[in-house]
Amino acid sequence: MLRFASLFLVLALPVFSQELRPPGHRPDPPGCHALVGGKVVVAPGKVIDPGVVVIRDGRIEAVGADVKPPADARVWDAKGWTIYAGLIDAWAKLEDSGPPPQRPQGGPMAADSGFLGAPGTQRDPGTPGPSSALAKMTPEKRVVDGLSPDAKTVEGWREIGFTVLNIVPSKGILRGTSALFALGDGDPNTQVLRAEVWPVAALVSAITGVPEEMDAYPSSHMAAIAAIRQAFLDADWHARDKEHFTRHPADRKRPAENPALDALVPFLVSDRFVAFESDSALVTDYEARLAKELGLKFLIRASGQEWRRPDLAEGAGCPMVVPVSFPEAPTLPEESDWGQVSLDQLRAWDWAAENPAVLLKRKILIALTSDGLPDKGSFRKNVRLAIDRGLSEEDALYALTVAPSKLCGIEERAGTIEKGKLANLTVVAGSYFDPEAKIVSVWVDGRVYPVKPGEKPKEEPAGGKEKTEEEKKKEAEAAKKKQEQRELAAKRVARAPLDERGPEELPGVVVVKGATIWTCGPLGRMENADLQVENGKIVAIAKEIVPPAGATVIDGKGLHVTPGLIDCHSHCAIVGDVNEGTIPSSAMVRIQDVVNSETDNLAQELAGGLTCSNLLHGSANPIGGQNCVIKLRDGASPDALRFKEAIPGIKFALGENVKQSNWGEKFVTRFPQTRMGVKTFYENRFTAAKQYLEALAAFDKSRSSGGDPVPVRRDLELQTLGELFTGTRIIHCHSYRGDEILMLVREMDRFGIKIGTFQHVLEGYKVADEIAKHGAGGSCFSDWWAYKFEVYDAIPYAGALMHQRGVCVSFNSDSAELARRMYLEAAKAAKYGAVDEVEALKFVTLNPAIQLRVDKWVGSLEAGKHADFAIWSHSPLDARTVCLQTWIEGKRYFERARALGRSEARRKEWGELREKAKKLASSGGGSRGGKGEDDKFFESSLEHRYDYGYEVHCEGVERK
Amino acid sequence: MKTTVIAAALALMTGFTFAEDMLLKGATVHTVSGETLATGDVLVKNGKIVSVGASLDAGGASVVDLKGMHLYPGLIAATSSLGLTEIGAVRATNDDSEVGGWTPDVDAWIAVNPDSELIPVARANGITHALTLPTGGTIAGRSGVIALDGWTWEDMTIRGPAAIHLNWPRMDLNLDAGGRRRRRRAPANPDEEMGPEKQAEERRARLKEIDDFFEEAKSYDKGRASGGIPDGRIVPAWEALRPALKGEIAIFINASDERQILAALAWVEKQGLKNAVLVGARDADRCAEALAKAKIPVIFENVFDQPARDTENYDVHFTAPKRLVEAGVPVAFSVGAGSWGTWGARNLPYHAAQAAAFGMPREEALKAITLTPARILGIADRLGSIEKGKEASLIAVDGDILDIRSNVKRMWIAGVERSLESRHTKLYEKYKGRPPVK
Repeated sequence: MLRFASLFLVLALPVFSQELRPPGHRPDPPGCHALVGGKVVVAPGKVIDPGVVVIRDGRIEAVGADVKPPADARVWDAKGWTIYAGLIDAWAKLEDSGPPPQRPQGGPMAADSGFLGAPGTQRDPGTPGPSSALAKMTPEKRVVDGLSPDAKTVEGWREIGFTVLNIVPSKGILRGTSALFALGDGDPNTQVLRAEVWPVAALVSAITGVPEEMDAYPSSHMAAIAAIRQAFLDADWHARDKEHFTRHPADRKRPAENPALDALVPFLVSDRFVAFESDSALVTDYEARLAKELGLKFLIRASGQEWRRPDLAEGAGCPMVVPVSFPEAPTLPEESDWGQVSLDQLRAWDWAAENPAVLLKRKILIALTSDGLPDKGSFRKNVRLAIDRGLSEEDALYALTVAPSKLCGIEERAGTIEKGKLANLTVVAGSYFDPEAKIVSVWVDGRVYPVKPGEKPKEEPAGGKEKTEEEKKKEAEAAKKKQEQRELAAKRVARAPLDERGPEELPGVVVVKGATIWTCGPLGRMENADLQVENGKIVAIAKEIVPPAGATVIDGKGLHVTPGLIDCHSHCAIVGDVNEGTIPSSAMVRIQDVVNSETDNLAQELAGGLTCSNLLHGSANPIGGQNCVIKLRDGASPDALRFKEAIPGIKFALGENVKQSNWGEKFVTRFPQTRMGVKTFYENRFTAAKQYLEALAAFDKSRSSGGDPVPVRRDLELQTLGELFTGTRIIHCHSYRGDEILMLVREMDRFGIKIGTFQHVLEGYKVADEIAKHGAGGSCFSDWWAYKFEVYDAIPYAGALMHQRGVCVSFNSDSAELARRMYLEAAKAAKYGAVDEVEALKFVTLNPAIQLRVDKWVGSLEAGKHADFAIWSHSPLDARTVCLQTWIEGKRYFERARALGRSEARRKEWGELREKAKKLASSGGGSRGGKGEDDKFFESSLEHRYDYGYEVHCEGVERK
Repeated sequence: MKTTVIAAALALMTGFTFAEDMLLKGATVHTVSGETLATGDVLVKNGKIVSVGASLDAGGASVVDLKGMHLYPGLIAATSSLGLTEIGAVRATNDDSEVGGWTPDVDAWIAVNPDSELIPVARANGITHALTLPTGGTIAGRSGVIALDGWTWEDMTIRGPAAIHLNWPRMDLNLDAGGRRRRRRAPANPDEEMGPEKQAEERRARLKEIDDFFEEAKSYDKGRASGGIPDGRIVPAWEALRPALKGEIAIFINASDERQILAALAWVEKQGLKNAVLVGARDADRCAEALAKAKIPVIFENVFDQPARDTENYDVHFTAPKRLVEAGVPVAFSVGAGSWGTWGARNLPYHAAQAAAFGMPREEALKAITLTPARILGIADRLGSIEKGKEASLIAVDGDILDIRSNVKRMWIAGVERSLESRHTKLYEKYKGRPPVK
């Protein structure tokens, strides 16, 4: 009670904001001002015109139409001015606002980096002193520590009307905590509004050009997700472990201190925001899913490309801080250079300014930020562009004042002009949203900061020299042209990427009549047969099915029908790097976290009859990441692409890639460097995983008998490996040589684990009996060889030989290009080794389904299975064949004429966009805000990064 | 017939390579240059075809019964690194790319390893001849045509030099800010820091280098022709270029992008070059008319490449050959040079097959792996079709050569039967015979 009383006392005392300065100093100005006669925008949509704003001691004392300025106020004639609540930039990066990601090598190492899991590995140097084991993890860092932006930086923001910045850390994965900073001059202590606002996370650490950063875990998007996931789990464990120690100080080992983990604990239990920075439309989705999984309250600094998948942005269900940095169409040197500009780039250019409106339409709370602009001077111009594209001025003001104040937790103190709030104001001679109207001043904490006119040439003073008729005419023409361009820019030409994707709307009942049906099931190949589909499932395959009323009937005469093809090894739809090759075991990373639903590979592969694909981590390490089997439901979200019934798997790899044989001379220190060491490594990790499972079991046992055991750290790497013991996850192992294949067979025999598939397995023919006996599948290349030493004995008969020895064999692509023609690969099984044609087709249908443990649903045409099938002009193994249609779950995703029509429409759209871009580029009507022609660039997306001109396969990414 | 088989087997075993007179009887004869004979005979004497007809008299020649088989001219790989590369990732085994930007005096065929394991593998799928070429720099050097069997490279070479190789400079610009922002290392290519105009300047400079080089070559050539440059002052590099300037050997221009192709065409015209060939040629069908007008043939290496642009049809590279031949451009297919093209050379017929599936007339597709490459390589007087007077370099196939399921059963080069055994068939046989593991 006493405490409350004293609190009351403090509040009740008059606050003397100013101390008497010693003589010799300029006395502080009086703290009372009145802005009289201006248009006062009290809050978005609420205007007093004319109105009076009275400021005292840094706060708004009064606001209204009839307020009388106090006697001691300095009165400002605000006629012609618009007075807004001071603008807040919720995502400000300073040059020096990131904790340094690089640290000296060799010093005392922080924390236990045991999860790196490798004897002999050069460990991440971590942070000197206590912190996370990972240099990119610095959640304990606070931007506020040492914060002291220089005057020029502060002025730069004031010039575009901002009064408060939320300064975010800019480097790392878990980057540290932002600070809210008022843009006044003077003592930094007085400028800090909130010392800790949000912890900031991102999936890419920074773009610094420092190679070391690439070499340190986590370097891929998927590993960043895994690292963040592990960090929050660790925080939770660490807290429990410390509590346990307080209960049992004498009975156990003392827990290590870890400020990085301590810093995360509050966010597991409080409702404070954790902020994620996104660099693409899908990353926005990934981050939202991660945050939800971790139970965090979160917001996202949008990528600016959410227009690509507004459905996913809406699904994220969180507020967003949205950039207004838009790509700007350059003038191209030659007409023929336009052939290089993609539809996607043109769309990205045309859509960009609409992104804020798109998000708002989806009822997302947005705050606008100047972050990402190469030149802050173009901020207002770009906000205007966003307004021209559907954002109302009221919305824009809300996004610059109320919204950021809410997100930064100062809505009680800022965001509107109300009594008691901070005297932060943005004063404009006209409307803020007219980029031509000059910003007069900003007020921060009741102190006025006149905005300098800047370096721009001053306008001719009115009543100066008389303009000639000629000049007037020119001016009028220029104004007209400007207006035309604004109208041109305001009208979107680009279509939404989702518009042209997804299956056709057709009735749920489909009957294909009179075709040759390769069932790949017990019915074998049936001539002149019918296939009936209902509600996504196959209901019958027989001669003479009578189609029910209303069914879609397809005349299959002369055509062939096969199950949808399945590719057991692909990297065709992954965002970011397919390898987390920084460490020898990346079992904690998951491809399912980074599925690329937007890649054009999906449509191209559907055009070759493919319906299902096993997305695998790369082969850079003996233990790679977790795979993700997808159905090629083009147009669906990343999560909806997943073939959820498929058994989880993990990528392993043997041989040259994992021992870094072809990585260059620098890569000679990571364990393992030999095939000997690969075996040693597995033995180590599987032993560790076994011990981990035992520790968990012991913990559970002790707990259930009333004990209070030491909490076991949940380790995502070992937990994943542990699932191999229980058979809930299977191994897909990249392999070539017979010796290494046999080694893994024996090693897994020892641990009682059955290998799912050997991938590539080109020398599998040498140890086919051993593979068959162990029960692993073999998913090989049809005929690749000679590109490296370990494939010198690779032969195209490998598939046939293994098949003959009883191994379940599939052919895979490992290439988005090859995945378009797996049927031609199957023909090679018939060619090399004379595999029966029906069996050969199973190499790309039923057998991969068996290998992926999805044969209950797909892989053959049988009643009850998913209606995933393709229709062909000839036998699927005949090189004359053309895929005509591809269906997934009874929906038609590919039809040849329709696909060609789509491309035609894309070319038309491209032509229209090019015309628009040319008009706006040639006249300087761009929008990104670069300083000259050489600063203008198009922008493409992370999702389409590997779509054109690149080939991604297990040997890495190469430019074609 | 039996004796023939035995004799052939003996020849293979002993390395006895004497061309025997023979009558290849009863196959479906795909002459390529003329009609296909549903059942026909081919009479071979001294390694040459002396007669092709429906029912020929063997005379003294031994009869080879090819009933049920399809007889084709041997396939020709119009570009490759056969004999120059063994294992892509093992540097010591690669002799396909020399350093230095301007090396017309680098000759590829003299570095061919006759015992490369890749050669019999290519042969096994019907390839009897290949151009083997150097790849490094702007002017990479000169290539030669080799027969895919022989004791020495000299033995194997049937035309060297056959062409000079010009890798057209890159003409694309970096127009993407996203790429720049995402970049993690300092750019390997300084263009990434420049705006489009500045990049275009650099591009013009790159093209001018080629102009300058050829102007200098021409001056040299004139000097030599007029005796102004005596033998004592010969420059091997310029000498190597002279046959190309005269049109005696082809200039192979490697270009993919539309801009490269159009710039190369303009350059060929400006330089007055008579014997230019476009290689790679990804965007060739975008320039089909210009190519036809300039009468420049195309070696198309991109059938199995994904579209290069997001506005192109998914099948753009499957259908491009059709559009090219319709426009009147001669087309040959190739899998390409380098490790991946060379080990993959055996898939040459399937490039043609895919183009045929997507609309190229089948006879044109077949021509594009036989007669057209022979013409481009300047060996059509000897190879590329089944015609009187040509070399008996033939393959007998148990089906359509464009059908993946078919297998080449017999091969003759210059009338001598060649082995279809390879590292692959040997390993196959060996491990087929591995006793079952209990």
